[in-house]
Amino acid sequence: MSHSPQPSPRVPFVSTRRALSRRRFLQGTGIALSLPFLESMLPTFARAASSSSPLAPGAKPRRMLGICNNLGLLPDLFFPTGKGRDYQPSPYLHLLQQHRQDFSVFSGVSHPNVDGGHPADICFLTAAPHPGSSSFRNTISLDQHIAERIGILTRFPSLTLGVNTRTRSLSWTGTGVAIPPEDKAADVFKQLFIQGTPAQVEAQIRKLDTGRSILDTIAGQAKELERSVTARDRDRLDQYFTSVRDLENRLQASRGWEKKPKPVVKAAVPVDPASSAAYMEKVKVMYDLARLAFETDSTRSITLMLDSVSTPVLEIPDTKITDGYHNLSHHGKSTEKRSQLKTIDELHMKLLADLIGNLKAVREGEESLLDRTMVLYGSNFGDANQHTCFNMPTILAGGGFKHGQHLGFDTAQNYPLPNLFVSMLQRMGLEEDRFASSTGTMRGLELA
Amino acid sequence: MKRAACVALALAHFAAASLFGAPAAPLTTDFTEKYCAKCHNDIDKEAGLDLTTLAFTPGDPANFQTWVKVHDRLQAGEMPPKEKARPEGTETTRFLQSLATTLTKQEQETIAREGRATRRRLNGYEYENTLRDLFNAPWLQIKGQFPDDGEAHRFNKIGDALDVSHVHMARYMGAADYAIRQILSGQLERPPTTTQRYYARDQRTLTSKFTPNSFNSSPDRMTYPVIGSTAQPDVRFGRVPLTVGDADPKNRDLEAVGWVSSNYVTGFTYRWDGFRAPVAGRYRIRFNGYTLWAAPGGVAMRFANERDKTGTPRPPNPNVPNYDRISPGKRDEPVTVYTRNGIMNRRVGEFDLTPEAAVHDIGEVWLLANETLVPDASRLYRSRPSNFRNPHMTPEGAPSVAFRWMEVEGPLYDETSTAGYRLLFGDLPLRKVPDGKVGGVTLSVVARGERRDGGRNAGQRIVPLEDVAVEVVSKNPRRDAERLLTALVARAYRRPVKAGEVTRFLALFDDRTKAGLSFTEAMIASYTAVLASPGFVFLDEKPGRLDTYALATRLSLFLWNSEPDARLRTLAASGELRRPEVLRAETERLLADPKARRFVDAFLDYWIDLRKIEDTTPSTTLYNDYYLDDALTEAALAETQLFFAALLRDNLPARNLVQSDFTFLNGRLASHYDIPGVSGAAMRRVALPDGSPRGGLMTQASVLKVTANGTTTSPVLRGKWIVERILGHEIPPPPVAVPAVEPDIRGAVTIRQQLAKHSADASCAACHRKMDPPGFALESFDVMGAWRDRYRGVSPDKPGEKGLGKNGHPFEWHYGLPVDSAGELPDGRPFANVREFKQLILGSETQVAGNLARQLAIYATGAPVRFSDRPQIDAIVKAAQPQAYGVRSLVLALVQSDLFLTK
Repeated sequence: MSHSPQPSPRVPFVSTRRALSRRRFLQGTGIALSLPFLESMLPTFARAASSSSPLAPGAKPRRMLGICNNLGLLPDLFFPTGKGRDYQPSPYLHLLQQHRQDFSVFSGVSHPNVDGGHPADICFLTAAPHPGSSSFRNTISLDQHIAERIGILTRFPSLTLGVNTRTRSLSWTGTGVAIPPEDKAADVFKQLFIQGTPAQVEAQIRKLDTGRSILDTIAGQAKELERSVTARDRDRLDQYFTSVRDLENRLQASRGWEKKPKPVVKAAVPVDPASSAAYMEKVKVMYDLARLAFETDSTRSITLMLDSVSTPVLEIPDTKITDGYHNLSHHGKSTEKRSQLKTIDELHMKLLADLIGNLKAVREGEESLLDRTMVLYGSNFGDANQHTCFNMPTILAGGGFKHGQHLGFDTAQNYPLPNLFVSMLQRMGLEEDRFASSTGTMRGLELA
Repeated sequence: MKRAACVALALAHFAAASLFGAPAAPLTTDFTEKYCAKCHNDIDKEAGLDLTTLAFTPGDPANFQTWVKVHDRLQAGEMPPKEKARPEGTETTRFLQSLATTLTKQEQETIAREGRATRRRLNGYEYENTLRDLFNAPWLQIKGQFPDDGEAHRFNKIGDALDVSHVHMARYMGAADYAIRQILSGQLERPPTTTQRYYARDQRTLTSKFTPNSFNSSPDRMTYPVIGSTAQPDVRFGRVPLTVGDADPKNRDLEAVGWVSSNYVTGFTYRWDGFRAPVAGRYRIRFNGYTLWAAPGGVAMRFANERDKTGTPRPPNPNVPNYDRISPGKRDEPVTVYTRNGIMNRRVGEFDLTPEAAVHDIGEVWLLANETLVPDASRLYRSRPSNFRNPHMTPEGAPSVAFRWMEVEGPLYDETSTAGYRLLFGDLPLRKVPDGKVGGVTLSVVARGERRDGGRNAGQRIVPLEDVAVEVVSKNPRRDAERLLTALVARAYRRPVKAGEVTRFLALFDDRTKAGLSFTEAMIASYTAVLASPGFVFLDEKPGRLDTYALATRLSLFLWNSEPDARLRTLAASGELRRPEVLRAETERLLADPKARRFVDAFLDYWIDLRKIEDTTPSTTLYNDYYLDDALTEAALAETQLFFAALLRDNLPARNLVQSDFTFLNGRLASHYDIPGVSGAAMRRVALPDGSPRGGLMTQASVLKVTANGTTTSPVLRGKWIVERILGHEIPPPPVAVPAVEPDIRGAVTIRQQLAKHSADASCAACHRKMDPPGFALESFDVMGAWRDRYRGVSPDKPGEKGLGKNGHPFEWHYGLPVDSAGELPDGRPFANVREFKQLILGSETQVAGNLARQLAIYATGAPVRFSDRPQIDAIVKAAQPQAYGVRSLVLALVQSDLFLTK
């Protein structure tokens, strides 16, 4: 069964490895990782790129994890007081204080024209306007934008994960189609670390080779046409030709991955909690999986939709939660409901603190994994009780920025959050100055 | 001394017959020295211009532009300033002539060598339309798969901005592959044409809302069963069956489901989940329904938590509808029909529901496979948390709609239905392959049989498509491949196929077959290559006179935004298209075709930014009454498109762009404009009442919306927009150090008071006296284009006006300072309001027509209008003068001009 309404999300010759597919079942045992084959490929991509390009040989790996909790956090307990480096942590941020220098917290930010309440979660990483409108169509998400550019560097260009969701996704292709989220950590683990059958590998390689043959055919025509045109026109055809070759090289790199043994890890196959009521446990399992995927450099771009809306009454050890997560979020200022929400929110903060800590504990070269991994945590809802999509709670941890600050913007006239995405793209080493409705880079956020 | 030498050198080049220093014409030698260099010198550098050291190197585009600017300021009489020594008229004329001749000659040399246009690829609009026309598949959705096209000189048609990256290449291949598979899907499933009635009572999406639950407990979001205006509580609470069933056809036809809200697209929706288009194609859609009235005093249920399945009744509430007390409708309700398939909602029609039950035929529509339909009573409540209060509820009750059934006739076939498949695979059969057999290609199709969601939100989810493997059967693959590929390349390329050109694609077929691909797989790969190849993706224009194929392509890309059709191709092949009368007749033919609407929409999308109509949201603080009003935005967009289409069709004078005595309205837009006597959802031509400020482009809601930001209006931004788009003067960007003026919505000062400093500072005033006046005139219109006498503002200190949004959320604003829409044109002529302003602008009719001709020329030729092109624009305008600069005449004259006929 396909999750694909039209137009088809499958771009068969190009993006066969775009996302982990649930349909692909894999078996076999892992073989030890040998030398990165990519080193021989990289000079091709570095052609026009400066040494700061993520495709340049020896470039530091840069990564991104985007997490959206689609019911958000109680705003009065989340947002800090005071701005800049001397801000006073809020009750929730107290739970992250051991990592104070490793994250920035933002207030007064939102996606321009992204309204509509619940539907806006799918715009968390796309910033496409008016998700609730009658003629809405989503656009490319940040992680897919990154995957399209540097996805060749890793076995999986991106991972799209979810908790308690089989449909709502943070990852959207450039064709406006959702990538179905993986909600079984064990399945993802197998695809990351357990080898496919020779037949599957062959089929995949044949697809990639077909793509390359097509490109080779049209490159030949482009070269021929170039001979008969004027200088100005040749420049255009040459750009086309270059793009064809660029894509060909990307397919070639993908082909290399198919033959390459998968990394071997010590970690055991994760156990997915059976019940969606064990939501918090599921979140933890996914955080661990994301860390493992980064640690093995299996991908550089991960999204995680925490579909709190579809979460029933939570089962949390030693705590009594009496109502479904969604109903709690419509607390109507009820003290009882708010107190239960607070319990859940605090668990979110603790799990995030653990994730940051675990990423920090992993060394990669001279740095920690956290130094090279941007963790974006936030929500489409500024206030789920009010169903408002402005003043989105937003945290960015790690990635090599100067953190330890509260960047507070106007809570009445919000600052565009897509600017943070531009900063993140630039941190990835991509020469981009726009994303969705951005107006620049995130003001006040500097590289470490 | 140094200065004089430079000037002498510059001017020597200036008047020279070539770049290489023929002697200067005597009168120009000292012209700039005498009249310009007192200010524009190396020390004063007035306006950043130092004419004493400015070389004359027109081969350098920047230098060329500077001299064009010198020419234009002088010609317009703006320079030298009035208070300085000014040259005699004849002296100026001779200088200008000399300068123009030299610049023209220089530019024409480049154009002769390279052409005006840079070779370009098809843009996203053109690629989509071309595939649609090539395969006779108007439903293909392709444009959205591409990154936004680059824009230059305001249009997405300019080679220099239409870049290609590896992302584009991937998308071309993906789009071609998608289109081919779509055609195969359409061929695989050919369900017979039927007329089928889908009763509202059989739609789980509708009937699951009869009773509340903890997730949907707002009565305004519920639905209710009704016959005529008799409520059926027994049906509602499940005490009797949902329907009498097919055994009692007479009563079954009368059973209806009613509701009081408009859609909340992803939250709840009144969708016909029992119908899904089995294949992409044409369908005829009818709805049977009527309007009702629901009394107040309903009972809302309270649910303690998710485990609470029954709920506890609250006391009767005067703000919520009582679905046991229903009476006949009191008015019509406009209904917009949208498609839904899970990722895309398209608007496909509209009608007016009346108090008397009636069948409303929305006509034939194109549906994608798996799409279903949603009738949206657009005027009604669009409920949004956290405040549930129907703004239409009164002590007498609230408006409601009820539907009996939707009827679908289709899929409708004609001789073009199989044209796409025939082009790809001729008469070779297509069949499913068993699971596991290799060599099949996967298609996504609508699964047969009943497949629906059950449970709490029954019918909310769109059941996804299923995969099926198919193959095209060929007994002689190699020969079929050669035959089919030759035919497709000949049809897809917009020029004659050169000998051996198909060989390349056939080699790909051979290579892939050798690699183990099946016939079908290898053919799809080869077709994908054709449709992503430069021969298809790029235009083929060579410097000089266009050949007839390139001419046919330019004409069809201009007026259809797509490839030439069979007739144009024939005329290109015979060379007939070269003859002016044939070219003219073809232009008329293309304009008369419904596909010309693509030109209208695409041209307006860029010329006047209509594609940005949804880019801003009305502020929920100040303009909550506009927020979520899709019907208003859609009508505003349609008004402008229909208006321009009418100018084109009826060859109405270009002056109508400034002021017209008619426009296109429906009920929603007419009430927005305060024009009485127009009701209903359909757009129609309406004669404007005497004294109406409407008429012409600039007072249309669409234009007023795209020139505002949703909260405030700026006369500077609107004024600049009008001056550039309608009058055709480009305004240079402001100096970098100047911050934008932020309107103050507390209402203490008006934007005009803030802008006063512009007229005080001479360097600001130079541009602002040109661009602010239209903006001042348009201050009478708010962010959505409604008339206003006073600004809206918010202030905690003032008593507020109270309003309710379409979402029922209350908002408050107060009336701020009065609007002052008076101003004066740069030449000093005053106007008191927008009507007087438009009257003054009508005096510049030629200029308005000239600007339109220029915009059309850029759009049609994919190249900017350069200095040396100006005489041709003037000639086009002159040719249209006998028809009072009719818009169609301008198009016809453009097509016959050298601008259009050469690269």
